[in-house]
Amino acid sequence: MTKDTIVLPDTRSWRDIPQHVRPRAMSGEGRRRLAMGTVRAVLGVTVVTAVCWVGWEVSAVLREGPGSLSDSAKSERVRNLVLVTDGVLDKTWLARTLAIPANATLMGLDLVQLRSRVLGDAQVASASVSRNFPDTLTVRVSERSPVVRLMAQTGGDPPRMLLVSRDGVAFDGTGFDPAMVDSLPWIEGAPALRQGGSAAPIAGMSAVSDLLASAKLEAEGLYRTWQVISVGRLASDGEIEVRTRDGMRVVFGTDENFLRQIARLDLLIDSTTDPTRPLRQVDLSLGSQVPVAYGTAAPMLSDAPPAVAADPAKRPLIAFPELSNLSN
Amino acid sequence: MSSRHTFIGAVEIGTSKITALVGEFTGREIVIIGCGECPSRGVIKGSVVDYRAATECTQSALELAERDANERISHVYLAQTGGHLEGFYNQATLNVKAADNMIEKDDIRTVCELAKAKDLPVGRMVVHNIRRPFHVDGRLIPTSPENLVGQKLEVGYWTVHGQEQRLADNIHVIRGFNLEVRELVLSSLASGHMVTGMEERQNGVLAIDIGAGTTDFVLYRNGAPHTTGVVAVGGGHFTNDLSLGLRLTQAQADKLKLRFGRALVQARDKAEKVWLDGNYSIGDRQFSRHAIETITSARAWELMEVVKRKLGPAFSPETCAAGVVLTGGAAKMPAIAECAAKVFGTQARLGEAPTWVNDNLRDPGFHTALGILYYGVSAQGERAETARRKGGFLQGITRLFAST
Repeated sequence: MTKDTIVLPDTRSWRDIPQHVRPRAMSGEGRRRLAMGTVRAVLGVTVVTAVCWVGWEVSAVLREGPGSLSDSAKSERVRNLVLVTDGVLDKTWLARTLAIPANATLMGLDLVQLRSRVLGDAQVASASVSRNFPDTLTVRVSERSPVVRLMAQTGGDPPRMLLVSRDGVAFDGTGFDPAMVDSLPWIEGAPALRQGGSAAPIAGMSAVSDLLASAKLEAEGLYRTWQVISVGRLASDGEIEVRTRDGMRVVFGTDENFLRQIARLDLLIDSTTDPTRPLRQVDLSLGSQVPVAYGTAAPMLSDAPPAVAADPAKRPLIAFPELSNLSN
Repeated sequence: MSSRHTFIGAVEIGTSKITALVGEFTGREIVIIGCGECPSRGVIKGSVVDYRAATECTQSALELAERDANERISHVYLAQTGGHLEGFYNQATLNVKAADNMIEKDDIRTVCELAKAKDLPVGRMVVHNIRRPFHVDGRLIPTSPENLVGQKLEVGYWTVHGQEQRLADNIHVIRGFNLEVRELVLSSLASGHMVTGMEERQNGVLAIDIGAGTTDFVLYRNGAPHTTGVVAVGGGHFTNDLSLGLRLTQAQADKLKLRFGRALVQARDKAEKVWLDGNYSIGDRQFSRHAIETITSARAWELMEVVKRKLGPAFSPETCAAGVVLTGGAAKMPAIAECAAKVFGTQARLGEAPTWVNDNLRDPGFHTALGILYYGVSAQGERAETARRKGGFLQGITRLFAST
């Protein structure tokens, strides 16, 4: 008898019994084991997949040459300087201020140092410096706007003109239109204080700025005649003295709305029709009572800054005209 | 085999209790590291009749064993018993094909397949194919006949088969715990492997495992299992007989059986009385010791007779020189070995676990579970070795690279 001559019967073994059991037929512990096994399997597959993916990525990086990648980032020179500003500064100023060497690479730049250089110009209120690969350095600045100008002199140096912003910081004023600078009034009576290694901000400039802004907005004709703004009595008496080109002195008080005071001044000027008795002094700091002094001549002031502050003791005659329509 | 440590569970779903063991298999040896027991419910005569109750008990035992071992197992070896298990012998003969009459691997494989191939009744499945020794031209070859010279190669298989639904029920109880049943092991083979030695099996020995619901037996000859069988009678029947004969509850009868039951009548004085409880409590009753021994000995004698009858001509005192070895919970009954010796006409003794077994596991109730682990591991190792030998050229190349 050989195997080739007979057909063997298909004998079933206990191994043919399917061992699959529905989870519903399992006990709670059985289902828990099944769930844990599934979680372990999923985690295992995830880990293997992650390892394979990382391996694939690493091999891809190695194939492309990681050395050349890092070298190109390091060796790329700075070819473009981009300045984003809300003011008048330009690329020339930026290049001069940053003073980046010609062969400097983008990765080799010290951004903190560059930012401090930019902030070294008082005209810049805030700045940020960033790299834009492959070869661009971007500088974003926010500039200070000038409100008044002053003449400063340090030691034996010749006096030079500075611009003063609303926050009291004096700066050289690069790139501004000369006509606009000429239209700015001068400031006097500000104490020269030092803060650290530089000049301290001038106190009370916010009040001066509000006054000038109100005048420029509501009575530009008057504003054009203002030549000197004195803050000598601002801290002590709360008064801002304005001298016009025709020699009139106007005192504004900080306790009352500047707009109302300007309106009174405008009314006074309009009501003064006698050219032989021009207004010499107007004190608007006392509310509805406005002392006015009249003169006989109208000496014109030059564009040069005032040499000394006005002396209150030398004030001329004071009169109190009727201003019933502005009493409120 | 792999040197990697694996944790294997062994489960015996018995009629009175469910035993679970956890073994750590190192590739060379197996070490028992966890044990769990739970009283059985939903099991009658080795068959699951209440799936939920049996599942709960089995899982309790497995959880205890896992907690004791402090390890989790993924698969188990399961003991299989029950009255539905039956066996038959089938033999095949093959003329050696080679011109020089040298037996080749192909001859061996062919004769083995022929011997195992036999149609089973509908609904029956093979549980075990137990090979008996080869014969080459009438010569007995205990191991492999490969490369021996002969004209006729013979081999026989003792095939154990069982009812498909009952086998599936047992497997599903384990699957309910999300564990895989890796091997199904006959209870008789498992316990017989533990209580008999290699020399005894070579000389011929009969191992009888008397459980609570069934009695499993295996007859060894020439170092290998020759015949197995299951009798649906166990220790529970002793209790039941006492309960009927003396009009007692099952619990009371069980108490009397454990205290005064004997497999042979020893009491000569028929008037000798014994107390049911012996604590002078109200309701305590007296019974004749002679009556108790008569009932239990009759059942023990009958049980041995049934086993002997089922063995038939396969058993004879001459071919069973090592005698009879008894194990199982009911084998703790006094004089059971003497009873077996008288029935089988040969020496009989109580089986003991090997000396290396821990004291906690030396009770006869653990012999089957212990045997499952050892028999299962060795059977699985043989199967892996066979699969390795059957591997083709490609698998061989793969193994070569894997080994380097």
